[in-house]
Amino acid sequence: MADELIRSIDKATLEMLEKAEKEQVSTVFSRADQIKPCPIGVEESCCKICAMGPCRMPRSKKGEEKARMGVCGATVETVVARNFARKIAAGSASHSDHAREVTETFLKAAQGQAQGFTIKDEIKLFEVALDFGIEIEDRSVTDIAIELGQKALEEFGKQHGELTYIRKAPLKRQEIWKKQGVIPRGIDREVVEIMHRTHMGVDQDYVHILEQATRCALADGWGGSMISTDLQDIMFGTPVPVVGTINLGVLKEDEVNIVVHGHEPLLPELLVTASRDPEIKKLAEKAGAKGINLAGMCCSANEVLMRHGIPCAGNFLQQELALVTGAVELMTVDVQCQMQGLQDVAACFHTKLVSTSDRAKIQGATHMEFHPDTGLDTAKKILRLAIENFPNRRGPVQIPDHKEDIVAGFSHETINYLLGGLFRASYRPLNDNIVNGRIRGVAGVVGCNNVRTVHDSAHIAMIKELIKNDVLVLTTGCAAMACGKAGLLTPEAARAFAGEGLAEVCEAVGIPPVLHMGACVDNSRILVAASAMVKEGGLGDDLSDLPVAGAAPEWMSEKALAIGQYFVASGIFTVFGSPWPTLGSDKVTRHLFEEYEEIYKGTWAFEADPVKAAQRMIAHIDTKRKALGLEKARERVLFDMAMRRNLT
Amino acid sequence: MSDYTYDEKERFDGVTIKVLGPTYEEGKPEGGHDWKSGLDTREKALDYLRTALRYWYGAEGFGSEKRKKEA
Ligand code: SF4
Ligand code: SF4
Repeated sequence: MADELIRSIDKATLEMLEKAEKEQVSTVFSRADQIKPCPIGVEESCCKICAMGPCRMPRSKKGEEKARMGVCGATVETVVARNFARKIAAGSASHSDHAREVTETFLKAAQGQAQGFTIKDEIKLFEVALDFGIEIEDRSVTDIAIELGQKALEEFGKQHGELTYIRKAPLKRQEIWKKQGVIPRGIDREVVEIMHRTHMGVDQDYVHILEQATRCALADGWGGSMISTDLQDIMFGTPVPVVGTINLGVLKEDEVNIVVHGHEPLLPELLVTASRDPEIKKLAEKAGAKGINLAGMCCSANEVLMRHGIPCAGNFLQQELALVTGAVELMTVDVQCQMQGLQDVAACFHTKLVSTSDRAKIQGATHMEFHPDTGLDTAKKILRLAIENFPNRRGPVQIPDHKEDIVAGFSHETINYLLGGLFRASYRPLNDNIVNGRIRGVAGVVGCNNVRTVHDSAHIAMIKELIKNDVLVLTTGCAAMACGKAGLLTPEAARAFAGEGLAEVCEAVGIPPVLHMGACVDNSRILVAASAMVKEGGLGDDLSDLPVAGAAPEWMSEKALAIGQYFVASGIFTVFGSPWPTLGSDKVTRHLFEEYEEIYKGTWAFEADPVKAAQRMIAHIDTKRKALGLEKARERVLFDMAMRRNLT
Repeated sequence: MSDYTYDEKERFDGVTIKVLGPTYEEGKPEGGHDWKSGLDTREKALDYLRTALRYWYGAEGFGSEKRKKEA
């Protein structure tokens, strides 16, 4: 059909979409066809924060003299800035509430009250204790961990002062933040202040509103997210490179398939432990299955993949499609990015959808709440429920025969080690290779899938363009999974897809040209890695001096905006794909796209075409190289049509 | 490994030379390589942190030997 939409570049996704259509199962893709985005809402120029509205303020038509305003007199700038700031508050709150759950569990684990949890990585415990200024010398691990848990918890409710991790940023960056007055005081406080300031009739200066949005986003990146990453590492182990597999083909016809979906890795960790229990294995066999097959979805997948090599069933837009296979006995969901549509899809098959967080229920789903003190019991109960459900499969299952090998688990600590070895660990080799031009620069390409773009296409087109041009890519979240499915996360990908210089370095070190650094909360690892590059020397004194750029070409979640804002405020040029949520106001857009360069030496940009966006990132990297006095900018490899066709 | 592969490359002065191609063993590793396993005493762990992560915890200098000023 000529008007048939291309939905995905992923064959497994297309196969399951066909099955869903045949069986008339509603998915995010079919629903997107029925609901078009509201043209006013998409530009964020409508306000509904008080009951005198909603006030819609589409851009003035040609010839209209007076700019439109809300009933209260609010200008479109105020409205757009309010909406943008509120999204950042929600995104920061999501990461940070996840972090709070982790911190509370960590404290319980340290006190011996969290079933199945221990301190697995003592070196990381010492590392983070040093960050928090905690005495280590002769104290017991338990003592250190308890003090760390308490101090980390205080970061959320702090009212004054500065967040601890701010001190990890390069000194020049800290000076910029100080000068702008945006150093976060406490994580929760910054979120609350956005909600207050954007309430009807409070802050009505878009520059001032966005300043608080920055303070809040920094509290996410250099606060909540970083705490969550670090404490998870201590409890579950800091990721080291591990081989895994990805895509719907990881589901197994003859085993009990359990998909862990969501963001908090607490219960998934215990499910991994419980699934290895011989008693549980025996139960599965008794039910007629060959074993238990645990697979991940979305960021929970990244967490258990990085730490245990548990296979990854897919990214955000594949969540319903995993159930469409008819092979999933049970899916657990906790918080964030889980679609309500899952329950309807589950009902079409035999799948049990189980919600596990006290923060999120889905109507119709079974609720089995996870609490750290009884966590292992809950994990076993969930596995038993899945096993009991194995004989209830309806009709033949159809598992797409598509899966790829991947290498994941590049934490900052591991990169540091890989580049220099145990006794000479450092970022020197990376910096040297940037200086000598083998590596042109580094890009962080992260973020979600969005059903309004062709699934995975923008990630892959952008990343292929970047690595072809010798830009080393760091990735997290659903973008990382897209890379895995496209075969970019293996060392062999360097020779196949990367430019000559990058390929040489990857082969020498034995790393892929795209490094999987974890879940979206782990973007904090990118901040730490970039800070280490600055501190190593040779590439300027600030994050904004580095030849680096960030991007989220298929973003959809509010968390992505919080991440983007803390990247930008950290001095990094960051480009997002469609849509861009301030287009309703030229002034607000100009402030973020141009004036931020003056203030933070990092800016936002918007470019819907991923290849053009990659070229803008490369141009930015070249500008930074020039400013550092590193050789003349080199020729760019531009993709011709034939090369682009090969991307899909 | 005996069956090395070689690539032909142009040297800086234009002469074509043979260089060793990629050398990695076929197959997949069984698990992750835990490089921290050797750091089995607290003393070793702390020493490691102060040298390997000297960007934050080192007392003897800033970054690498090339950086004169703290960043
Ligand atoms: S409130 Fe705004 S986004 Fe929602 S329907 Fe009305 S105009 Fe559209
Ligand atoms: S706050 Fe002002 S612009 Fe917003 S809905 Fe109320 S009256 Fe309209």
